[in-house]
Amino acid sequence: MLELTTTRHNPMIDPTLHVWGWEIPVYLFLGGMVAGIMIISGYFLFSGRHRASTQCSCFQVPLVGIALLTLGMLALFLDLEHKPFTWRLYTTFEIKSPMSWGAWILVLVYPALAAVAALRIPESWRIAFKGRLARLVLFSERIRGSAAATKTIGIVNMLLGGLLGIYTGVLLSALGARPLWSSSILWLLFVVSGLSSAAAFAHMIARDPYERVLLAKADNGFLIFELFVFALFFIGLASTSEAHLRAAQLLLGGAFAPAFWVFVIGLGIIIPLIVQLMAVNGKIPHTPMAPILVMGGGLALRFVIVSAGQFSHWMNAHGLPLPF
Amino acid sequence: MNAVVALPSRNGGFEEGPEMSILSSAAAIADHALHKERPYWHPYAAGIGLGLVLLLAFVIVGRGLGASGAFSSLVATVVHAVAPAHAESNAFYGEYLGDGSKSPLLDWLVFEVMGVFAGGFLSGALAGRLRITVEKGPRISTPGRLMLAFLGGFIMGVGAKLARGCTSGQGLTGGALLSVGGWAFMLCVFAGAYATAYFVRRQWI
Amino acid sequence: MSAPFYKYGLFGDEISLVMAFLIGIGFGFFLERAGFGNARKLAAQFYLYDMTVFKVMFTAIVTAMIGLYYLSVLGFVDLSLVYLSPTFLLPQVIGGLILGVGFAVGGYCPGTSAVSAATGRLDGMVFLLGIVAGIFFFGEVFPAIESFYTTTPMGSVTLPQLFGVSYGLILFLVVLMALGGFLLASWAEKKFAHLRPE
Repeated sequence: MLELTTTRHNPMIDPTLHVWGWEIPVYLFLGGMVAGIMIISGYFLFSGRHRASTQCSCFQVPLVGIALLTLGMLALFLDLEHKPFTWRLYTTFEIKSPMSWGAWILVLVYPALAAVAALRIPESWRIAFKGRLARLVLFSERIRGSAAATKTIGIVNMLLGGLLGIYTGVLLSALGARPLWSSSILWLLFVVSGLSSAAAFAHMIARDPYERVLLAKADNGFLIFELFVFALFFIGLASTSEAHLRAAQLLLGGAFAPAFWVFVIGLGIIIPLIVQLMAVNGKIPHTPMAPILVMGGGLALRFVIVSAGQFSHWMNAHGLPLPF
Repeated sequence: MNAVVALPSRNGGFEEGPEMSILSSAAAIADHALHKERPYWHPYAAGIGLGLVLLLAFVIVGRGLGASGAFSSLVATVVHAVAPAHAESNAFYGEYLGDGSKSPLLDWLVFEVMGVFAGGFLSGALAGRLRITVEKGPRISTPGRLMLAFLGGFIMGVGAKLARGCTSGQGLTGGALLSVGGWAFMLCVFAGAYATAYFVRRQWI
Repeated sequence: MSAPFYKYGLFGDEISLVMAFLIGIGFGFFLERAGFGNARKLAAQFYLYDMTVFKVMFTAIVTAMIGLYYLSVLGFVDLSLVYLSPTFLLPQVIGGLILGVGFAVGGYCPGTSAVSAATGRLDGMVFLLGIVAGIFFFGEVFPAIESFYTTTPMGSVTLPQLFGVSYGLILFLVVLMALGGFLLASWAEKKFAHLRPE
């Protein structure tokens, strides 16, 4: 008995883990949002809804997605321990490592996003480059004219977006040392949250009224679904083990409860949901503050999950939290 | 106002307004009505609502409402971040910084004021009153109004700290608790404001 | 006795912050509903053509005061556990006068400027910056005025305690005063209606 206890107290058994600061939450948020952008613009291409208006936001948001993903990867890079050896990630593919999966998904995501953006060269670019893009414009018109090509690009984006979103959740779930993260539906939470942030962003910048309402409705759906996923997430944690239950309590009533309830649920979901529900029913005008709050809530979610996860512990043989 | 807008779209027809013969005009009217602001509540109704929220605060947490304290916590946090030794040597900042075991922003008033922002936004959004604008009388320029707004805020920041609270913390809360300081404070607020009103009348009327 | 809930340990510090947020939402909501996100509406109080500020404030005070008194008489709320900030008469009188000047000049108070900023009013946002600057100024000069800040301490004292009369009597007088004030306010609104700008 004594031996059992002392071995679990041995710091070499449960090594001290690297503490994650702001970089990882920011990366997970931006990655999730780009995943949402890919799924949404992919869906617009696949369903042919991009034809409904000449200025479909589904051609603009992938450009923003490229910028956001680059920012996110920069944040990730800042967090890496051995920066000069980052390239080695691309010399191998480890099937059991989410990190390796992620590195390769990220490589595929760029051309997929660029393909959507290239389907419609922005007006301002055409003017800025004064006809030098003529051949590219011609090419993109031809691709856009082919239903099969646009559908394929749409499907590829939806698939890669799904993979990217899932990966941002699995990246945490794969680290068994943190009870809060070892949930089987964390990936779903991050995918839905990414979708809601992306829909909110597209809704904010969409110019076409029909498209704007469609995106706002989709966003409302994602937000409501996110609340259900939260409920499932907590039920799952509460019915796993004492360590998981305590991890859930960190968010529900513990040290992270103010941040969780106020920023993630209150400001990030409930308040924008009320405003957007009224707006899609035509009772009040749309306001850009609602989507901004949704995106803020998505960022807060990553911060809360990443920092609370690092607070959640396994128990030692005495039922006490392990000291790291 | 709202009913006129909502009914045609809900019924799919235009029984409510026979004068709206063509769809485009109805849409134009609906669009216009959408951007029309709803009137404010009757003062007594809003007052009772406010009173019940205050009562709820007493019953649930055993303290009243406030506002300026949240900004003091913010200032103390920033000063502490920039010049820790300076902030810690000052008794005023020290009151908000506490023993340093947790962030001064994890404070009751800070979260309450975040709620005030959220509640104000929600009410404004639901009443169609969200608008980027400057509230001022007809006889003053916008830069002039903004300058006076800053000056007024500055004066109020000093006054609120000297009085240990603002119109919410001392006036409303202290008033409802029949605090001596609260009532003395409130009477002086009105006295100070009425004494100044004449000199800034060009800003408002 | 079972309230205040927080003081009876119904929930901890963390959840009290969540409660603060929820109560704040109610506070901000009704402030905005009353029109307090609008500096013109607030400043109108000082030109007497619109007495909304007075009416709302005193209705709220009377509502909370009577409600709290009844709940304590019923034995539901322990009044001694409701935090009453101590009185320092002279600094509060001077502070009140200064704050009143700031109110007329700036058109908001701290809570209402938060609401006005949240609904997009630029003057409200600038006013908030002013408050932060003012508090910073106060903090920097605090060592010099600390002795004045703590003069005339009277402790956590209420009007009934000061005058040595019953809580109910003061409550009754405040209600009477409020009702009289409401009548006077409505009269003033008619009398000074001509001051309302177009």
